[in-house]
Amino acid sequence: MIDIDRGDWLAEWTTRHATGFVYLDFLTGVDRVTSTEVVAHVLNPDSGERVLARAVVPSDDPLIDSLSTLYIGASWHERETSEMFGLTFVGLRDDRPLLLRTTLGRPPLRHDAVLAARVAVDWPGTAEPGGSPARRRQRPAGVPDEWLDS
Amino acid sequence: MLPVSPAARPATVQAFRLAGDPEVRVVLANVGLACCSMEVEAAIRTGLLVAEGASNDAASSTILLVSGTVTDALAPAVVRIHEDLGSSARIVAFGACASTGGPYWDAPTVTKGIDQLLDVSTYVPGCPPRPDALVAALSAMTREDRA
Amino acid sequence: MSEESSPPVRGVIGLIASACTSCMLCVRECPTWCITLDSHTVEVTEEGARRPRTVNVLDEFSIDYGLCMYCGICVDVCPFDALAWSPEFDYSAVQRAELVQSMTRLEQWLP
Repeated sequence: MIDIDRGDWLAEWTTRHATGFVYLDFLTGVDRVTSTEVVAHVLNPDSGERVLARAVVPSDDPLIDSLSTLYIGASWHERETSEMFGLTFVGLRDDRPLLLRTTLGRPPLRHDAVLAARVAVDWPGTAEPGGSPARRRQRPAGVPDEWLDS
Repeated sequence: MLPVSPAARPATVQAFRLAGDPEVRVVLANVGLACCSMEVEAAIRTGLLVAEGASNDAASSTILLVSGTVTDALAPAVVRIHEDLGSSARIVAFGACASTGGPYWDAPTVTKGIDQLLDVSTYVPGCPPRPDALVAALSAMTREDRA
Repeated sequence: MSEESSPPVRGVIGLIASACTSCMLCVRECPTWCITLDSHTVEVTEEGARRPRTVNVLDEFSIDYGLCMYCGICVDVCPFDALAWSPEFDYSAVQRAELVQSMTRLEQWLP
C-alpha cells in the first residue's frame, strides 16, 4: 500500500498512468472516523504490475481530486464512493449518485450511520440466561457503545 | 413510482414438468433479482424441472417466482410484472430476501419481503433454498389444484 | 437429463434441547437476530450436596427461517453442540409467520 498526499493524488496517478498503469480496477473509501481513506487499485496490463495506493481525506474537509479525467471508469467508482462516504471528488463532471435513490441522512457506509431498523427492533439477545433481568447492557455484535441508550 | 422500462418484464413465461412427478405441470415466470435465481436456474439445468417451452396458458395458472432481494428500487418493477401477467399469477417468495428481506432486513434500501406489496401464496425459506426445495414447494402448491 | 441432486448436508439447523443450557450465545452471535430463546431458572437439590444448584430450563427456542441466512455461526458458537445441521429442506409455508420454527420442530429435525 502506497501512501499519497491528498494534494498529490491526481499528479501521482498521472505519472503512473503515463508509465503504463492504465487499467483502473477499483476506487473506494475506508472510513477512519476523523478521516476517510480513498484507495485506488490500478494495473499495468502489459507488465501485470499493480499499484494499490491511498490518500487520507480529513472528515472536516472531505474533498479530493477526481481521477475521472485520467481513468474514465473512475467516474462510477467516485460517484459510489461519494454517496457512500460523503466525499466530494473535485472535477468529477457526472456527480449524480450511482446507487442511492436518496442522499438524505448520513452516508450509509460511514461508521456513524445508524441502521434505524436495528435500533427499532428489540434485540433478542438482551435477555439473560435463566430469564433474570439484564445484569449489564449486552449489545449486539458490532453495535457502538452509545447505541441503544434510552 | 419509478418509471419501469419494458425490459423489466421477464423474457418468457415457461411451462415445466416436475422430473420427480411428471404428471405435475407448472407454468413459471422467474423474476431473478439476486442469488436465489441461480438455484431456480440450477433446478432447470439439472433437470429437476423439465422445460416444455413457452406457455400460452391463462395468466391465472402462472406462478410468479420472486427470487432474490427486493430492493426498493426494483420493487415497482416486480409489481409491474405481476400486473402485466394480469395480477392473477400466484406468487412464490423464493428465499429469505423475497420472504422477509432476509439478512438485509435492516438495509434502508430493501423492501422487507415482496409481501409488503403483493400477496404471496408460498414462502420458501433458504439462503438460498436448494433447487429441491423449489420443486417441493411447487409440488405442494399444485397438489391442492390437482386434489 | 436429470442428474441426481447431491445429498443435502447443510439443509436446516436443528436443536438438541437436552444439550441446551440457555446460555444465549447463539442468540447473541446470530447476525440476523433470528433466534429467540426463553428460559427460567430452577433450583435442584441433590443428595449429598451442601446447597441446591441453580439450573436454567429452556422454555422456548425458535429460529425465524424467514430471516435465517444459514451462516451456521450459531452451530459453531454453541459450547454444548446443541445446534446441528439437518439435511431437511422441505418446509415452505403459506403464511409468513409459519416460517418461525419452534422448539418442537427444531428437535424433530435432529432425530
